Amino acid sequence: MMNSISASEGYVGQSVRTIEGRAPVAGRARYTSDYEFSGQLHAHIVRSPHAAARIKRVDLTGASKVAGVVLALDGKAVAEHIGPMPHHMDPSLFHGRSAAIRCVALDQVWCYGQAVAVVVATDKRTARYAASRVVVDYEPLPPVVAADQAMAEGTRKVVEGWDVNAITQIPFVNGDVAKAFAGAHKVVKSTIRIHRFSTQPIETRVYNAVWERDTAGFTVYCTAQNPQPMRNQLAEALGMPENKIRIVAPTIGGAFGLKMPGHPEEPLICLLAKLTQRPVKWVEDREECLLVGGREQHHEVELAVAKDGTVLGLRDRFLANTGAPSACPGWAMAFLTGLTMPGPYVVKNIDVLATIAVSNKPSWNASRGYGKEATALALELSMDNAARALGMDPIELRLKNYLPSTAFPYNSPTGLIYDSGDYAGVTRKALDVLGYAEWKAKRDDARRQGRYLGIGLAYELTPEGGSVPGTLVAGYDSSTVRISPDGSVTVLTGVTTPGTGNPTGIAQIVADELGIDFAGIEVVQGDTTACPYGFGNYSGRSTIVGGGAAALAAQELRGRLMKLAAAMLGVAESTVIYRNSAFTSDAAAGKSLSFKDVCFAAYSHVYDVASCITPALEATCTYKPGLIRHTPDANGHINPYPSYSNGAYATVCEVDIDTGVITLLKCAVAHDCGRPINPRLVEGQACGAVAFGIGGMLSEEICSDAEGHQLTRSFMDYVMPRARDVPEIAVAHHDVPNPVSYKGMKGAGEAGVGGSAAAVVNAVNDALAPLGVCINDLPLTPDRVWAAIQAARRVSRREAAE
Amino acid sequence: MSLRPLYARPRTLAEAAAVLSEIKSGAVVVAGGQDIMPHINYGRLMPAVVVDVGTISELRGIASDGDGLAIGALTTHRELRSHASVVRHAPLLAAGAGEIGGGWQVHNRGTIGGNIAALHPLYDIVPALLALGAEAEVHDDQGTHRMPVDKIVSNTGLGLGTRSVLARLHLRASPPGGGWGYRKLKATAGAYGSANAAAVVTLNKGEISSLRVVIGGASALPVDASAVAARAVGQRWSDRLGDEIETACRELIKQPLSDQQGEGSWRRAMAGVMARRAVQDAIARVAA
Repeated sequence: MMNSISASEGYVGQSVRTIEGRAPVAGRARYTSDYEFSGQLHAHIVRSPHAAARIKRVDLTGASKVAGVVLALDGKAVAEHIGPMPHHMDPSLFHGRSAAIRCVALDQVWCYGQAVAVVVATDKRTARYAASRVVVDYEPLPPVVAADQAMAEGTRKVVEGWDVNAITQIPFVNGDVAKAFAGAHKVVKSTIRIHRFSTQPIETRVYNAVWERDTAGFTVYCTAQNPQPMRNQLAEALGMPENKIRIVAPTIGGAFGLKMPGHPEEPLICLLAKLTQRPVKWVEDREECLLVGGREQHHEVELAVAKDGTVLGLRDRFLANTGAPSACPGWAMAFLTGLTMPGPYVVKNIDVLATIAVSNKPSWNASRGYGKEATALALELSMDNAARALGMDPIELRLKNYLPSTAFPYNSPTGLIYDSGDYAGVTRKALDVLGYAEWKAKRDDARRQGRYLGIGLAYELTPEGGSVPGTLVAGYDSSTVRISPDGSVTVLTGVTTPGTGNPTGIAQIVADELGIDFAGIEVVQGDTTACPYGFGNYSGRSTIVGGGAAALAAQELRGRLMKLAAAMLGVAESTVIYRNSAFTSDAAAGKSLSFKDVCFAAYSHVYDVASCITPALEATCTYKPGLIRHTPDANGHINPYPSYSNGAYATVCEVDIDTGVITLLKCAVAHDCGRPINPRLVEGQACGAVAFGIGGMLSEEICSDAEGHQLTRSFMDYVMPRARDVPEIAVAHHDVPNPVSYKGMKGAGEAGVGGSAAAVVNAVNDALAPLGVCINDLPLTPDRVWAAIQAARRVSRREAAE
Repeated sequence: MSLRPLYARPRTLAEAAAVLSEIKSGAVVVAGGQDIMPHINYGRLMPAVVVDVGTISELRGIASDGDGLAIGALTTHRELRSHASVVRHAPLLAAGAGEIGGGWQVHNRGTIGGNIAALHPLYDIVPALLALGAEAEVHDDQGTHRMPVDKIVSNTGLGLGTRSVLARLHLRASPPGGGWGYRKLKATAGAYGSANAAAVVTLNKGEISSLRVVIGGASALPVDASAVAARAVGQRWSDRLGDEIETACRELIKQPLSDQQGEGSWRRAMAGVMARRAVQDAIARVAA
């Protein structure tokens, strides 16, 4: 417990316990699904069992007859009220193809699980039962399932009228790539298949829309990461002004990008509330939550390397299977994968082509890492392949190619501007906390005994705090600081928390700026009526911009309090000393004013002593991060990011070669998030990311059959890691402050999925190197690992026979 | 199929049998609810009547039964894994119960009867019972019958039928000087099993005098590999014998399951690997 440290020491940099984390831990948190209103109705959605089909007829009569059913609608009925949905990030802004997204399929099904009808009833069971009585007459169409199939000549188009099954193709080209490859000692080719996996917060999505008869508007209680941008999209979809909609996003049970807006159910549930004039709730079930895809990419990477290991050039052709077009921002993850190339490495000659394909699989939404995890996987698996091809130590190869710490600010070949970093220093720290030398000796011993241990290293560059022009992914944010007459402080922010602890970080910042006790500060988030305009939670930004804005507002109020204290003490402001929450002055010996005295006077003496300040101790400020550049440079590039957090990830594993089962023995993370406001919360995020990376590589996979029917429907098949799967994680901080951000912060909430995932794969391939096995086809489920070992043994037996 | 099922809670086995015989269709028997309730909660199963046998005291208890044990169908996994008599006389069964996934809540609620009656190919109890040659005591409106457990699990569709209640399991105590092994392969800690094997062995001066091996999790029904394992009788453990057992057991799996718990050819191979390891463990336990 560090909450009692005196204010003068400062809270920033201290691992104080969270304010907002206590209620969930104690079981006292009120989640969205805990909200119930008088006359509450429940919706159940009928979903397509086909990946692609024409809808010939929807018969709702069976459902409508069920006692307790209040309303049943098909796509045509919904379309009378809701037109094509607005995008969170419209592909047309990036010269991409934009489809008309319907929240309930109108005449054609684009993917397995797409909504085709909805039933509203007085309770959940009745709604579900009635939904089973909706009869839909489908004419199945040949499904487009795989990305290469989607892009093949002559394949049916997912969206009628499109010439190609792709949202867009984006090249990232710089330097003289042909020359780099011509002059290479070796060209190392890697085929890397990243499978479909997602994030799966334990709390699934929930929308409870309340139609407010008196104002003819809505209050929507929902699991929203971005309440204000969601309101903008809802207003447009529903054809009403934003100010008629209030969004309340209560305590959230995980988000990870999955709760960014654009989901069809968002406007749909509002419409149902309006039509029934009653509150309507929809709670996503796990099977529905597993329909939200992400990350599926197929990379063909080529590295041109010199004899000494210098990477001269990078080529990558990658294909992302983003599923059916959607209004969610998931598709743009593949854009970020390309933009973040070539990560932490000095490679000026690059030729990357991102193809963002559509298919009849369910759509993507944002997943923690937002495409940057795929960059790390593609680069870091390729770097290990290059090290093997050169017979070089993979650590040495990386150290040789990292940007030196003197290179910053660095203009990347894709147009990004990296703020700062010390990649070699971070790497050494990760290996140090792993106990690298010791593990290397253990690995070599084990090999002599016929056991298969491996060590893997990977780096991840994670640009944070993104700002995309022309969208409400705007980057900056606003906070209000309000001091009440009794001196208690409330902070209202435009950022939200997905459970990461940013309200605590923001309170630490405000406590330091106001010189007060941290424990009493209230942070209010997620209410569009109460909070200032902001863009919610994404891209590891909330403490940087929410905290930065709150700091500015607190500084303004502190200025007012100093002025007022001077007036109350009858001294010049320059002589006022504020320490330990008390105002004194050498010019007024013996007099002392408490923080509370001055705050009360600010409200109650506005016509006498407090007339020197603007009354009401409330200020709203906006923090606009630096370094972002939206005016294109000579190559047409912009820099959407103000901060470039980065980290090194190291993993030790053992593989049972008879079964293919992988056991992880140790993980290490060294992370540069600039200056951590609360180191323990940063460590918590790092450990969470490692668990994500481990799960994604070992067991989490969303599968479908050849017809596009999704086979992964529950946690029985989508297996997330348990405590026993996650080894001890050693975490080290290596702070290189961002020179242009408040307190040097770089963001800490998103990073680590790709780095830790790549470290797991590299460790497994290191373990299996004596067998000549190298797997770049993910995930590393035991059956795949075993099959790769069997194949290698067949080859070696054949070679021995020859 | 019913939106709001009726609920029956018989207090005796006779009452339960009577209730079941009266219901024409749509009855489900619930004990701990660990298998059935998720199906009902997800709407995949909409029974007309839920017959809750959880309060029938005749179904409880673990008792000595001549030279063996009688284990009530309501015995929870937690009781099974920690009960002194089970640990002493049927340690294989205790080990199987201990491997059941899902954590303490499942172990506190789930029952041996439910685990068998669910006929789930990935559940842990049946391979151990088959290896131990257990018998089931089943009650219906005609009275009480005893049958080998393999009778219940010989058919994926039928099981106990809709009118019977599994009352008790009877098994002979493992002979002293015998050994046992149970191996379960899971891809990760949270995964369902991909293959498992239960082995019971006796040795005579280091040579195998009897061996029973049952494989679960790799195919729709458990596979009794004892006939092929019998070839090991008269031999001492060696890597070569291990290879032979592994190959023989693998080849018994004609139609492996192939799903997200693992692809078919791997499941087949793992049946062999688990059998080999279970036998090796069993022999090591005798020696110890």
